Amino acid sequence: MGSGRSVDITLDHALPAVDGEAAFVGELRAGSEDAFAYLMAVYQNPVFNLIWHIVENSADASDVLQDVFVKVFKGIKGFNGDSSLRTWIYRIAVHEASNHRRGWIRRHWREPISMDDPESPSAAVASEAASSERSPYQVLEQAEREGVVQRALASLAPPYRMVVVLREIEGLPYEEIAQVLGLAEGTVKSRLLRGRELLRRKLAGYVGKEHV
Amino acid sequence: MWARNMFESCLEIRNHFSNYLDDLCTPEARKSIRYHLSFCEVCREQLEQWQAVQGELRALPRRQVPAEVGLRLRVEMSHLFHRDLLSRLLVHLENALKPLLIPATGGVLTAVISFCLFMGSRTVPISDVPDVPVQLTTPARVQELAPIDFNTGDNGLVLVTQINSAGRVKGYQLLSGERSPELMQRLDRMIYFSYFRPATMFGIPTDGQVVLSLRRITVRG
Repeated sequence: MGSGRSVDITLDHALPAVDGEAAFVGELRAGSEDAFAYLMAVYQNPVFNLIWHIVENSADASDVLQDVFVKVFKGIKGFNGDSSLRTWIYRIAVHEASNHRRGWIRRHWREPISMDDPESPSAAVASEAASSERSPYQVLEQAEREGVVQRALASLAPPYRMVVVLREIEGLPYEEIAQVLGLAEGTVKSRLLRGRELLRRKLAGYVGKEHV
Repeated sequence: MWARNMFESCLEIRNHFSNYLDDLCTPEARKSIRYHLSFCEVCREQLEQWQAVQGELRALPRRQVPAEVGLRLRVEMSHLFHRDLLSRLLVHLENALKPLLIPATGGVLTAVISFCLFMGSRTVPISDVPDVPVQLTTPARVQELAPIDFNTGDNGLVLVTQINSAGRVKGYQLLSGERSPELMQRLDRMIYFSYFRPATMFGIPTDGQVVLSLRRITVRG
């Protein structure tokens, strides 16, 4: 069961050093296929994670991910380096995911979840329970906990949620969040304050039992 | 000064919790918050909830690109990359050749026309001026044979003629052919009235010989 999970050379959070970024961008702009393959290997998982938290659907996130990299490929010539490459890619990802989410049909339609689908929550829990050293009860409790937090996060209004995701999940500094979202740094701070407070209220009874 | 910088209300304190979590407070604000938390249990509980929520969010599993999606993405990007490369090459080629099309065509036509004209002017003319022999020695030659009509017989005549430096015949010797008196008389007349070019040595006329082979000669007057 555990072997069904994808094992690939793609990285998750190891991003290229800023010092070498200019040369790397130069190779991308020169049309190096190897450089673009490296870019995809480095960024596809973080970008997918970010998109997933905005569109809340793996299938949609996959489609948006593809659109993002097509835009990155086509737009790399116009990338002038006024921000980091990560900021630029995240900006495209947030923009594409927000546009995708705005569709009325996509907003009101959810794909049915198959019990056999390895991406479905129940299948993921079953897979985790079979492979983990923890007891099935602990695995189920952890999955339920993550589900509650995930639902609370998803219930936030998009402006707050995006800031919270970029800060708490992606770990971006305020300045970079402001660049990604095209906001002033003060606006980022106020939205983050508001988003965290909303989440605290939603999860107060839940997290308080264990942590307080 | 410490008292003046202290936050006065719980609401004011809570507005700084976000910065406090991210360690972005000034040292004075941090001291003030800690002081407030030391006696305000409600605010302390709320801050702990903030920290707990932050921990829960950071503990959320990171979504990984499904294997088939990653493969599809790589294939799509590779396809896009090569398709775009080909179209880009075609565009570059077209852009490079378009400005050169008219000049190149004009250049080729000009080159062809110039080549034809040049080669036409290089045709070697035939000169009417007789060549001056430059050899060390030249043999004597017949310049003009006298138009004397006589019959040489079936086997013809072969004779050796001695030519002096003035081009005159000094004598001749019949090697083969009929030797009838009439034929010899006509042959004498023909030799006498013929013109010869003398042999030369280093450009100077000198004596020489000419071998004549005469066969069925019919000279029309």
